[in-house]
Amino acid sequence: MWIETLIGLCFLAAAVVFVAPDRHAGKLAFWLSTLPLALSLYLYAAFDGSGNALLGGDVAYETRFEWLQLGPYAVNYHVGLDGISLPLVVLSTVLATLAILSAWTPIDERQSEFYGLMLFLEGSLLGVFAALDFILWFVFWEAVLVPMYFLIGIWGGPRRKYAAIKFFVYTNVASLVMFIGFFALVFGLGDAIGSTGLPEVAQALEAGQLGSLGPLGPEAVAMGAFLALFVGFAVKVPVVPFHTWLPDAHVEAPSPASVLLAGVLLKMGTYALLRFNFTMLPEQAVTLAVPIALFALVSVIYGALLALAQSDLKRIVAYSSVSSMGYVILGLVAYTVYGVGGATFQMVAHGLISGLLFMTVGVFYNATHTRMVGDMAGLADRMPVTAGVFVAGAFAYMGLPLMAGFAAELFIFLGAFESTVLPGAPVFTAVAMFGIVIVAGYLLWAMQRSLFGPYRLETDYEVGPAPLQDVVPIVTLVLLIVVLGVAPDLFFEMIRDASLDVVALGGEP
Amino acid sequence: MFAWFFQFAPAIAVLPFVSFLLALVAGRWLPRKGALAGILATGGSLLLSLGVLAAVVSGHTHEQTLYTFVDAQETFSLTFGILLDQLSAAMLVIVSLIAFLVHVFSLGYMNAEGEPGLPRYYAGLGLFSASMLAFVFADNLLMAFVFFELVGLCSWLLIGHWFRDPAPASAAKKAFLVTRFGDYFFLVGVVAVLVTFGTAQFAGADGFPALAAEAIDAGESFFGLSAEAWVSVIGLLVLGGVIGKSAQFPLHTWLPDAMQGPTPVSALIHAATMVAAGVYLVARMYGFYLLSPTVLGIIAFVGGFTALFAATMGVVKNELKQVLAYSTISQYGYMMLALGAGSYVAAFFHLTTHAIFKALLFLGAGAVIVAMHHDEDMWLMGGLREHMRVTYLTFLAGSLALAGIFPFAGFWSKDEVLFDTLVVGLEQPLLLVAYLMALAAVFVTAFYTIRMVLLTFHGDPRTDVAESPHAVGLSIKAPLVVLGVLAVVAGAINLVPVEKLTGLRVSFLSSFLGSDRGLLTHNAHYVDLRTEYAGYETGAIVSEPVTVLLGVALGFGLAIAGAVAAFLLYRDADPVRHTERLGSIHTLLVHNYYQDEYQVWLAEGLSLRTARAADTFDQGVIDGAVNATSSVSLLSGDRIRRVQTGVVTNYAALVVLGLLALLVGFALYGGWF
Repeated sequence: MWIETLIGLCFLAAAVVFVAPDRHAGKLAFWLSTLPLALSLYLYAAFDGSGNALLGGDVAYETRFEWLQLGPYAVNYHVGLDGISLPLVVLSTVLATLAILSAWTPIDERQSEFYGLMLFLEGSLLGVFAALDFILWFVFWEAVLVPMYFLIGIWGGPRRKYAAIKFFVYTNVASLVMFIGFFALVFGLGDAIGSTGLPEVAQALEAGQLGSLGPLGPEAVAMGAFLALFVGFAVKVPVVPFHTWLPDAHVEAPSPASVLLAGVLLKMGTYALLRFNFTMLPEQAVTLAVPIALFALVSVIYGALLALAQSDLKRIVAYSSVSSMGYVILGLVAYTVYGVGGATFQMVAHGLISGLLFMTVGVFYNATHTRMVGDMAGLADRMPVTAGVFVAGAFAYMGLPLMAGFAAELFIFLGAFESTVLPGAPVFTAVAMFGIVIVAGYLLWAMQRSLFGPYRLETDYEVGPAPLQDVVPIVTLVLLIVVLGVAPDLFFEMIRDASLDVVALGGEP
Repeated sequence: MFAWFFQFAPAIAVLPFVSFLLALVAGRWLPRKGALAGILATGGSLLLSLGVLAAVVSGHTHEQTLYTFVDAQETFSLTFGILLDQLSAAMLVIVSLIAFLVHVFSLGYMNAEGEPGLPRYYAGLGLFSASMLAFVFADNLLMAFVFFELVGLCSWLLIGHWFRDPAPASAAKKAFLVTRFGDYFFLVGVVAVLVTFGTAQFAGADGFPALAAEAIDAGESFFGLSAEAWVSVIGLLVLGGVIGKSAQFPLHTWLPDAMQGPTPVSALIHAATMVAAGVYLVARMYGFYLLSPTVLGIIAFVGGFTALFAATMGVVKNELKQVLAYSTISQYGYMMLALGAGSYVAAFFHLTTHAIFKALLFLGAGAVIVAMHHDEDMWLMGGLREHMRVTYLTFLAGSLALAGIFPFAGFWSKDEVLFDTLVVGLEQPLLLVAYLMALAAVFVTAFYTIRMVLLTFHGDPRTDVAESPHAVGLSIKAPLVVLGVLAVVAGAINLVPVEKLTGLRVSFLSSFLGSDRGLLTHNAHYVDLRTEYAGYETGAIVSEPVTVLLGVALGFGLAIAGAVAAFLLYRDADPVRHTERLGSIHTLLVHNYYQDEYQVWLAEGLSLRTARAADTFDQGVIDGAVNATSSVSLLSGDRIRRVQTGVVTNYAALVVLGLLALLVGFALYGGWF
């Protein structure tokens, strides 16, 4: 019952806000969004699941009933949470509430529609992480695109139309590829499954019940499905070379939407990779470990280099996401407790940290109406608190110990280094770790150019400290990042518990 | 009875952390903008550290896990804990003493001068002290890394304190980035240690140094390498962090730039916190380094080379703090040399005396800078001793200690470093080369130190400001006096030459660090490891007393020679810029051997150009391909759309033609004909 309430609350709030008058929409959306936030925190506190939801674990808050019949397959309404999805649910509700608060200052037109779409987006995201049936999951997966398309297309920057269409078409084509990949598995399994439920498919595959499909043998079906799924999700993550929609979308999107885009939407890709590719098709993942790790490496280093070349703060943060998500892929392919667990933890940590940076850049933009590092030199002089928060966020991104980013990266490095699945794992790890030097380079340089030195921005109004409603969400995020960095086991314990069965699938080759 | 202090040991780091939080959140309302909180906190840390040291001296040690960071039953866990043995207890006293004095000094240097941003400054100092203290008592390598990094953050915050000027902001970035480059290797090393041994504990039979020794004995192999080779690889990786933080060649370039920070911060960074952290780390995991003669040789060579290399640059500097910066790099070279030569005690002894006299010199320089209204060029000073007796006398004591003049503290420790290297060097040619470089550096050090003293304090005042300098207050003088006295007497804690020549038991530090407390972190154990794994043997020239006397004569003689040379050149009332006569060598030295140039090229030329090329490639090729795909779709869509003419007759024709085509198709396929 709980998850329906959670998602229902978001959709209901979206509907209410949508019809509310503009001048109340922001406040109303914020207060309504605290309901799913509070509920998700309750779900965290009362969590009693164990194991992996797809591999026969004890699923928490499970609801399951038949929804419709699709040919020979039953499509169930099936939702539930395990140690991997619950942290992402909490992340989504936290970021959504804070993003809504951070929108109060910049969003001044069509407010009720804006906040309505934000809440609708939140509900869809929660659905993606909670759904345990493929069709249901796919509905939420696609539903996410709609509000984001409008958020970019209506409230975005000058090239918003281009960015919104690119985002929508690119990710939708990817969804199609992924859809085909998954149904290849479903048809290959044939009678072995009676529904499109993710646990059922995963367990049937684990039991080796995949059959031939036309001229293709089981091996070829599995490999083809793996590749289709991987490409489909790699666009979402994004993995280089499928990443070019991301900087455009981020730069054009209004900051509160960027927060959810970087903070949660990208995690849909890595979450799905973990649930589909690495849980359902471990043999293929192990076979392809080296190329996958190479994709991860390229994303880490190349993404960081791209960030170094930018002079728009938002583009810097956008490209750095490409780099950080590369670490997640590296952790997943390691098939170790620290690797898979660290990758999941990184999803949460990166969600908070990149959310924080986007939000802070938004606060600077609200005050200065520029995002170019060269233009805002010396801003720390006028906006000391916001500058301090940006410093904290930048150091968190660089992996400063006792902040969430360090814990996540450390886990991934430990897990990747000891991987037995990936040949030459220590070398891969050591090369990927060099990303921590480049990230320090571009963020320190960006801070030096934008925050420090003599103040020289020329405006026809006085640039002063940010209003309270802008400062509260970013300071909250800093605190959360520190808490999670000091006590990673708040999430990492349940993540490890849910990752164990996945790790076992990789096993000894 | 002193073991009672152990339960409060975590408070040694927690107290300054609380002062950081207070200054951060409520600094502007605190008395003296957070200075008092910082003084009280570090004063408390100092008292507790003294208690802990007393407990360790009286024969106790303490090892305890305080916090489990990751409690993983399935694999190894990650923990934070506290290790109080001889090394950490002594280091805690040094760090908290310097931190306390720097806080007091800051009252006169920052508050009295009306500097802006004081809460931020004291927050930084508090976090700096707390991180360093926690680093010192860390019981495992991961925790050490965590606080090592936080030390780096604090250096960034404090070096860039005056962020409205471009220079400090740039220097702060450089300091963090260069040390981060070193820390990258360190982190790979930490990961490798944890993955290889499943633990990162320093001490005891379960610690990774002991496990590594066992692995070597058992002839195990890791990742396709023999245990010896793998230990060397890990040792070198961790050494990357050490070289970065301790400003050893080639990662020393950040440190002179770091002089852009407030002077008390320089004192803290150079004497007791950041720079000391690197050397301390090697000492902390010394049992691991002794397993690899290769790495020891590299440490010794880097140390000896850096000692000489940095000292030569100190000769031509015109700014007081620049001279001191290069002397720091050089002196840490001596400590590295001692560690590489297998001399744990000498390294820690020099770390101790250096902490005292370098803090003294920086604080003294701070007093001079206040007096000179923030002018640092020594050529604008002169004659200051007339007006600043306390500063002059204490600064002189510190200088003589730095120069290695008998009987000041630095003489004893430097002599021990050189002697211990010499006796090992007699059997190991590589170490002998390192020794000779360090010996040559003694002369250079004495020269630039005395030059600095003469230019600053002697002769006639060369400017109006030097004629009537700004008076300095008690909060500046008091720390100087404390450190000045220590700089004279601190050598007495380890009078090894005296013991060797007379037989009196006066090498207190040696016996303290040497006693077995069951943690495998005592010197006697290290001496065993040194013989067994590193294969170091010691030689002597004729006999031990002769070697001792010869070493003293060489070291002291060169120091005196350097001092006399500087005195003869710069004693005039109006000294001449002699170093400029060196011609092209002078140019080379002034430009620091062009070390900055190539590193700036690596950072800006190479990396940035690669990044820009990648960006062009990304926009042009990868995104170009994406856009091309969409253009093709749009274009083909556009072409196909032209079929839709809107003319009914055309549609009718198409329908008929299509029907015919279908009929023909079905007919052929279906076999109607």
